[in-house]
Amino acid sequence: MKFAYYPGCSLKGTSKAYEASMQAVFRRLGIDLLEIPDWNCCGATVYMSVDEAQALLMASRNIALAQRMGLDIVTPCSACYLNLLKVTKEIQENSPLGQRICAALEKSGLGIAAPKLPAVKHPLQVLTDDYGVSKIVTQVTRGLKEFLLVPYYGCLLVRPLNHRDHPFFPTKMDFLLKSIGADVVPDYSLKTKCCGGTLTGTVEEIGLRLNYLLLKEARRKGGNAIATVCPLCQFNLEMYQKKIIQKYREPVSMPIYYFTQLVGLSFGIGEGELGLRRTPKVQERPSAAGR
Amino acid sequence: MNGGNGKGNGIPKVGVYICHCGLNIASTVRVEEVAEFAKGLLGVVVARTNKYVCSDPGQEMIQKDIQELGLERVVVASCTPLLHEQTFRKTVEKAGLNPFLFHMVNIREDDSWVTVDPDQATAKAKALVAAGVHRVIFHEGLEKRREAINPNVLVIGGGIAGITAALTLADSGKKVTLVEREPTIGGMMAKFDKTFPTLDCAACILTPKMGAAASHPNIRLLTYAEVKDVQGYIGNFRVKILKKSRRVIESKCTGCGECSNVCSVEFASAFDEYLGRRKAIYKSFAQAVPNVYTIEKIGTSPCTYTCPAGINPNGYVALTSQGKFEEAFKLVLESTPLVGSLGRACYAPCEEECTRGELEGTVRIRRLKRFLADQYYATHPEPEYGPPPEEKRQKVAIVGSGPAGLTAAFFLRKKGYRVTLLEKMGKLGGMLRMAIPDYRLPKDVLDRDIRNITALGVEVRTHCEVHSLEELQNEGYDAIFLATGTHASRMMGIEGEDLEGVMGCMEFLTQVNEHRPIDLTGKRVLVIGGGNAALDSARAALRLGAAEVTLQYRRSRAEMPAFPEEIDAAEKEGVRLSFLTLATRFLGEGGRVRAVQSIEMQLGEPDDTGRRRPIPIPGSEFILPVDLAIVAIGLAPVSSPLLSALHLTKERTILVDQETLQTNVPYVFAGGDAVLGPSIIVNAIGHGRRAAHSIDQMLSGEGVSRIPFVLHKKPVISKSEVLARGGYQLATSLPKKELPVEERIGNFREVELPLTPEEAIQDARRCLHCSICSECHLCQTVCQPKAIDYDLNDEELEIEVGTIIVATGFKTFSATRIPQYGYGRFPNVYTSLEVERLINSSGPTQGEVLLRDGRKPERIGIIHCVGSRDVNYNEYCSRVCCMYSLKQAHLLKERTGAEIYNFYIDMRTVGKGYEKFYRRLREEGIHFIRGKVGEVSDWAITPEEEGKLVIRVEDTLVGTMRRIPVDMVVLSVGLEPQKDAEEIRRMLNLSCSAEGFFLERHPKLAPVSTFTDGIFIAGACQNPMDIPEAVAQAGAAASEALALVDRGYVELEPNTAFLREEICSGCRVCIGLCPYNAISYDETKKIARFNEVLCKGCGSCVAACPSAAVDQHLFENRQILKELEGVLRHV
Repeated sequence: MKFAYYPGCSLKGTSKAYEASMQAVFRRLGIDLLEIPDWNCCGATVYMSVDEAQALLMASRNIALAQRMGLDIVTPCSACYLNLLKVTKEIQENSPLGQRICAALEKSGLGIAAPKLPAVKHPLQVLTDDYGVSKIVTQVTRGLKEFLLVPYYGCLLVRPLNHRDHPFFPTKMDFLLKSIGADVVPDYSLKTKCCGGTLTGTVEEIGLRLNYLLLKEARRKGGNAIATVCPLCQFNLEMYQKKIIQKYREPVSMPIYYFTQLVGLSFGIGEGELGLRRTPKVQERPSAAGR
Repeated sequence: MNGGNGKGNGIPKVGVYICHCGLNIASTVRVEEVAEFAKGLLGVVVARTNKYVCSDPGQEMIQKDIQELGLERVVVASCTPLLHEQTFRKTVEKAGLNPFLFHMVNIREDDSWVTVDPDQATAKAKALVAAGVHRVIFHEGLEKRREAINPNVLVIGGGIAGITAALTLADSGKKVTLVEREPTIGGMMAKFDKTFPTLDCAACILTPKMGAAASHPNIRLLTYAEVKDVQGYIGNFRVKILKKSRRVIESKCTGCGECSNVCSVEFASAFDEYLGRRKAIYKSFAQAVPNVYTIEKIGTSPCTYTCPAGINPNGYVALTSQGKFEEAFKLVLESTPLVGSLGRACYAPCEEECTRGELEGTVRIRRLKRFLADQYYATHPEPEYGPPPEEKRQKVAIVGSGPAGLTAAFFLRKKGYRVTLLEKMGKLGGMLRMAIPDYRLPKDVLDRDIRNITALGVEVRTHCEVHSLEELQNEGYDAIFLATGTHASRMMGIEGEDLEGVMGCMEFLTQVNEHRPIDLTGKRVLVIGGGNAALDSARAALRLGAAEVTLQYRRSRAEMPAFPEEIDAAEKEGVRLSFLTLATRFLGEGGRVRAVQSIEMQLGEPDDTGRRRPIPIPGSEFILPVDLAIVAIGLAPVSSPLLSALHLTKERTILVDQETLQTNVPYVFAGGDAVLGPSIIVNAIGHGRRAAHSIDQMLSGEGVSRIPFVLHKKPVISKSEVLARGGYQLATSLPKKELPVEERIGNFREVELPLTPEEAIQDARRCLHCSICSECHLCQTVCQPKAIDYDLNDEELEIEVGTIIVATGFKTFSATRIPQYGYGRFPNVYTSLEVERLINSSGPTQGEVLLRDGRKPERIGIIHCVGSRDVNYNEYCSRVCCMYSLKQAHLLKERTGAEIYNFYIDMRTVGKGYEKFYRRLREEGIHFIRGKVGEVSDWAITPEEEGKLVIRVEDTLVGTMRRIPVDMVVLSVGLEPQKDAEEIRRMLNLSCSAEGFFLERHPKLAPVSTFTDGIFIAGACQNPMDIPEAVAQAGAAASEALALVDRGYVELEPNTAFLREEICSGCRVCIGLCPYNAISYDETKKIARFNEVLCKGCGSCVAACPSAAVDQHLFENRQILKELEGVLRHV
């Protein structure tokens, strides 16, 4: 199995740990990731709010590059994932925007061959659908019983364009985590409730409140760690805990993991390789009676 | 058919009238220009425009021209013919011109309404008018056709609309057939508690009408019936109706309900929105009309279908689940006397097919059967019955008392024949006794099974070997059943097989099972073979004290034919399993076997049985010392002079007719292993039953195959269909219960331990009731009027009616489609229909409103517009939800005293008294929040929200987001067309709107007629509406139907086919094509002859005629071609 790897800006910056852990896990499983040479920003949520057409145009360049590699794309960041999917959709539907994109790519010498566009996949999808959980569990060497994980998907992965999982109550990550031996909170109702995205930077009050709600409910349901799939979700949930505690005066802190870090842990891969050295230790699981 | 009145130069005078249609046409088409253009067309003597040609002045204008100018043809260019063709035809007719000399051109729907550019529109109008003028010149005057209307009416759907329509029509003296597919009429209204705004009890106002409909002399009520096919046209519909079998004789059933009390199958009831339960024999609700019970039976369950003996596991499992063990035992006894034996030794094909096997595991049917036998036999050491009351004079001889012979004896004796069982050995039982050791089948159980047969008074002769058929004939037997089995051991034919200490498995097992003393202490025993006989021999040898028992099988474990449980048990008990080995010769000393030489095998390519062929590995021979060698490689039929007169197969089994089991000698039948070769017990039992049936047929003079032996009447139901019904929860299956291995040594105690009654009931409860009714017969035993008949078949009826009223109603929006509202995720989120059943005093909770965990709700949220007024689901407003939400708010407050919140977008309370009702609710203290609810969830921010469902909504009147914690959420779901509305409308040839509701002819002026003449719609199948509106529509539809029927005739378009006789070559192609038999062959003229009266104008003959001799009025070839010419010339 081989994929063209589109990291997106976050994976090289604040979410280096996501990249490290994903690569470690994929290496162990024998899945090759070839980084797309000279990839560029996808527009994420920021540029999309300013000029959607331009953002998608930027994103499309990466698809053209991947097509030349002859491989499907794996991209861990939910925003990149959604933008690349949107581009694919516009081109496949031959919408006016899709035509503009193709023309622009053509003009810059990167013409795209429309029907056979590379598929855009998220690593969660690759693991559960393409590789298969039954094969993954053969690599598990250690239980993860110290965790009661809260599965948090964020919104961009499942809405509006991902049809491989339920748009409000997805279960693929739950399934993956349970299969590698972790306990997962079964009824976390805020699985796909917004983390605020960039609002933690622009309108902090709203951003703080949204993350406070997510953390508080996670704790209320008995969880002692949150598993995420998106760099911005992880960042928001982790980095603002101190401010949230200050503002709301409630003990809502807990470590926030990337799901790939958890899979790596179960494989017995070292904390250093998984970018876990600076993650706080998880607190003891509350007893069943305490919940 | 010529009626044209051409004058002068042969071209008739044409008048052309272009309509402005207000601005509808004139705003896009330059009508004056078109009129000018028309003046220049051939034949046109006058061309005018008018604002509204269809108005009185417009019509008078035409009439004046006809009279003053002597017009012979008229063309009007305006709207669609569907709207005004009839109008203008009447206009010209009143002026003395034949109406079919008029032609209409559509320049509105076909032109001005769909073209934006005026130049294009005008050009198109000109072309269309030219086409019309070219064509009309070739029109001929025709006579209208009249057909009589059948005065009978069909009403489809027995809800309030259907009932009202039926009653209205019946009261006027017309005969009505009312068809309803549920077992009772009443529709949705029967589910409601109270109706708004008067809070009348729904049942109180509905049931009198239901009763009236059932008892009206002019109404034929067909419930549990569906319309399957509709042919014909207005005034003459032929309708096929499928009347499903209730399996209850309607005329005898008194509706007492005793049957339902004892029915052994129970599950969630759809009528109660799955909140309550009902039985397989049921009445939907207490006031059901007709007041009869219905047995729901869908197909045959997989277990029953697959049993070769025709036993019905679903019946006795259902009875067991209710603790009715004795009844269950008796049910099994109806299909076979060998209950105990099967309960131990049956290989249970039923368990392999059990649908529960797709979940956590099959129902343990065999162990349940064993449990039932044990229970019954413990308290009934002898059967409760004796010989049959009447004895027939004929005698039947049954040779062989294995399962096949015993079963045949049982059934034949029950029928009254004089039966003799002839058995070669000292005791009855055949292989059941001879081959299966006590630890699997204790002989006292077998003996008790056999008493089930002998108690009937069967003559038994043991130690009796029959040598010829003549022997039996001489004794006066009228029929013979040969069930002699295959109890000879097959030997290997290798060196040393004749040594002492080498024996066939049957020789060994017979000794063991006859309890003859055999002491194997310290002996080394080898068993060769991989089937059940080999395993039985090995495990028996162990118990007889053998020091070492080895089982040799020439293939691997995976290919062993024995039951896997037997192989596992043997291994556990200490049998040494030696795979891929084969004995090649026995080595002896002094005439006694001392050792066996064997060779190792490997698996090669598959042979023709599909199993991989074992190939010896050269040089791998080894010697195994043995004291006793048992050859158990297979069984074979015993050769006997008895079979000399019979045709045999090449395996030396008896050749029989597969259906009847008759041999080549007419009075001799055969079955069991003697026919099948070594097989399983249930197959033999099936043969026993089948042979008994055939022999009975023959002896009663009916002839052997007159009535075939059919075990099941309905086809097997598919497992996926059963699982899709839902309503089950995963359980745990029964663990194995066995004697521990230490306790098995040295004895033949039964290894499998019995079930306790609790275990039996618990396992039987897992049954999914695949075919619903389990045919346990309990209802029959308590039905006094004897109204239950399982064999009643579905009936197909055909009726003829003149008009049809469709009142098929609606279904509610499926709330699971909106995941944000939590229906299905949170147990205390209900739909309004579920709440209606809860509030209803005859509902599943007798009117008590409780949450799923039994608590009383203190705060209730009612969410309006679920699935309605929503671009993601249904855009339309469902009209009734605001009012029913208010009604439910009032009733819930009354019942529970809870705080009630209604979340609405707009309050739609338009009907009579509705606004007053709304005001009353506000005065009662119901809280109203204007906002569409965004989410119902369980995440809590404040302590008050813990354990509650929190409704998140924007309160638009206050301008803020609110979180309202409640205990119970009620979703006011919208109305949608029925699930199968699409099939119904195709069958009736109706149109529907984009949402799927049946389409009315005109939204303003014709709400109950459709575009199919003679078919009317009424009620919520047309659009969401409340009860008064549905009743009004029903009355309207009834009156439309009455208008037609009372007029007595319908006028049809004279678009019949006609023949140009001089062209007809008499090829007769058209005759076979006519669906109405309107064409025949004239022998004298040698051409076709057309019957105008029968012709319906379908046009098949016109298209098919190779000589173009057949043409069709109103659509003549030359008319059409001229139309094309007109367009092409001016486009």
